[in-house]
Amino acid sequence: MDQRDMRSAGPGTGLPEGRDQDLDGLLILVARGDENAFASLYDQLAGPVYGLVRRVVRDPAQSEEVAQEVLLEVWRAASRFDASRGSAVTWVMTIAHRRAVDRVRSAVAAAEREQKTSQLLAAHDEVAEAVEASLERERVRRCLDGLTELQRESVTLAYYGGYSYREVAGLLGAALGTIKTRIRDGLIRLRDCMGVT
Amino acid sequence: MRLLRHDLHILTGAYAVDAIHDETERDRFERHLHRCKPCDSEVRGLTGTAARLGLAASRPPPPRMRGRVLAAVARTRQMPPVTDHRSLRAARPGRIPRLTWAVAAVSLAVILLLAVTVVRIQHQLDQARSRDRAVAAVLAAPDARAVTKVTSVGGTATVVFSLARHSMIFTSAGLPPLRSGRVYELWLMGPPRVRPAGLLAAGPAGRTVPVLAEGLVRGDQVGVTVEPAGGTRQPTTTPVLVMTLPS
Repeated sequence: MDQRDMRSAGPGTGLPEGRDQDLDGLLILVARGDENAFASLYDQLAGPVYGLVRRVVRDPAQSEEVAQEVLLEVWRAASRFDASRGSAVTWVMTIAHRRAVDRVRSAVAAAEREQKTSQLLAAHDEVAEAVEASLERERVRRCLDGLTELQRESVTLAYYGGYSYREVAGLLGAALGTIKTRIRDGLIRLRDCMGVT
Repeated sequence: MRLLRHDLHILTGAYAVDAIHDETERDRFERHLHRCKPCDSEVRGLTGTAARLGLAASRPPPPRMRGRVLAAVARTRQMPPVTDHRSLRAARPGRIPRLTWAVAAVSLAVILLLAVTVVRIQHQLDQARSRDRAVAAVLAAPDARAVTKVTSVGGTATVVFSLARHSMIFTSAGLPPLRSGRVYELWLMGPPRVRPAGLLAAGPAGRTVPVLAEGLVRGDQVGVTVEPAGGTRQPTTTPVLVMTLPS
């Protein structure tokens, strides 16, 4: 939608530089019941939340539902945010990812996914395309490119696909220990590449 | 043992991307995280990294979503603060593991053991055990200890705590009832700051309902004050109890 906004984003976070601290401050206000602060937070994080949920869940209607739940959870649980353990962005995105994974793991979704296993690697391509689609995502893409193929596949299937490491191992035909290691190595390499502290 | 720990440590990545779906395995890893500082800080870094992958998937939400969420916010009550971030993780919907018979058996054994020294509180602990697996986990912790003290207004307070699990359970008996609009509030009082740890609700037989408080660290004292109903963020009155936990 608003490509200009996206392009002004700082490297890595997808948000303008310095925004992380602003969001931490906003979230603290939200914890005190400040609805205006929540509206500002919404405007900055609804896109990331919806995009991630949509990536994992895929179905637009369900994604919208889950994204709404996530954002409401941010409101409800804002007092539980602890800035000493990570940024507000990370906190929100972590909730979003968990909720998305919980959704795809629910019984109905699981049954549907049984039939869709063959579409899995196509899903992976779609992720790669989506990541490549936008300029400010360049950094994440470049960092993903720096991984070995097995690392990249393991990380993206687990994170964007919402699969357990056991499922990832099954899909890639690799040993459990190998996949556990590749997810960790891959994330460590991404962390170093993106400069996450 | 080294092998096992190494094996657990490898799971930091899978944990950061929510790829440990087996509850038992995830619980075991979370317990390991509480004990393993380097693992915990690695998980934090990798969770931040994963969040950036998430940001890269950003896309515009349907415009109608904004109004719906803001309307829902306007009619949704917020959760009170807790003293430990981890409890959010535990409160995750659909992911609360059931109390296993093994844990129940272990905690029962510990309770019976404690009962020898702290007979008075056995009944309270027993109730606590059945109420909450987290309470059972504190009771079952190898380093769990019990302390009892008389408050300045009468009645006794008992704390069972585990520094390894950063948790404590607080119960009391015989605290005088308060006039309406007042409540006993529990605090974790550390050298850096005082954190609210919950309100004491009246239970049967003059006891208060056991409260589980997380985020306990070495050097914390446990305090109780009388506060306006609903509690406050910082104590506003002189504590009726300050209890030092032996380390």
